[in-house]
Amino acid sequence: MNEQPRWTQRARALLDESAQGLDAATLSRLNRARQAALGQSERSTAAWFLPAGLVGACVLLLAVAAWHGRTLPSTGAARVDTPVDAGDADALADDEDMYEDLEFYAWLDAQDQDPQG
Amino acid sequence: MDKAQVRTLDEFLKSIERRALRMSELATANRDEALDLVQDAMFGFVRHYASKPPADWAPLFYRVLDSRLNDWHRRRHVRGRWLAAWMHPADDDEPDAIAQAPDVNDPGPLARLAGGEAAQALDAALAKLPLRQRQAFLLRVWEGFDVAATASAMRCSEGSVKTHLSRALAALRRELEDHA
Repeated sequence: MNEQPRWTQRARALLDESAQGLDAATLSRLNRARQAALGQSERSTAAWFLPAGLVGACVLLLAVAAWHGRTLPSTGAARVDTPVDAGDADALADDEDMYEDLEFYAWLDAQDQDPQG
Repeated sequence: MDKAQVRTLDEFLKSIERRALRMSELATANRDEALDLVQDAMFGFVRHYASKPPADWAPLFYRVLDSRLNDWHRRRHVRGRWLAAWMHPADDDEPDAIAQAPDVNDPGPLARLAGGEAAQALDAALAKLPLRQRQAFLLRVWEGFDVAATASAMRCSEGSVKTHLSRALAALRRELEDHA
């Protein structure tokens, strides 16, 4: 620093004395404040682990789901023979009748569109 | 942040916390408020600047503290602050008051006061200064920052620092002489 008026040196000494003369309770509060601020940096570091872990777990879950979904049709385990009850059998029979009559329905549709024919 | 860095940071904060508290106390005239401001400044400093080189820490810490003090004053003295700025517009062209001071060997007003009385008179005179003048004085004279570091801490131009300091020195001298 450049040359200063002498009285500012006295002012600096007085300010130093006042800072050194702080009472124990105040110093204790300063200490707690400092520790809290420093603890914050550790907590903020730890705070990164939780979201990062969650994201990692989600990615892993999606990867497993995607892999499982792709491999599922090729596995025999997915094809399980289940007994067909009577209602299902009737429905299947109806479907077969409908497929057999498709030509009739197509002809009927053509008649509707061409009333002259 | 590893343990060595935390220890270095702890030592730095320990080295400045008392002066930071006194600075805040002079600004707020309230120890509890001053402690809250210092703690807030410590949190802000650790959050934003702990990764900077330790050589830069002191001006950066005081930048955070200065910001907190400004916020505190803005909340409480908006009208007075605008009025003061209007009545005393900044002039960046003034020379550095310390560098240009002609009376470097003048013992000054504090020499005529006894220890305890001088300390009280200085506290009272500092408390009467506008915030920016007081910050310029404390950072330049007490912390020993140069003009550039003070300007960085106060987020203003070097010319403004010189102006604030010049006015602070004149006001303090006048106030202390009246007291003596």
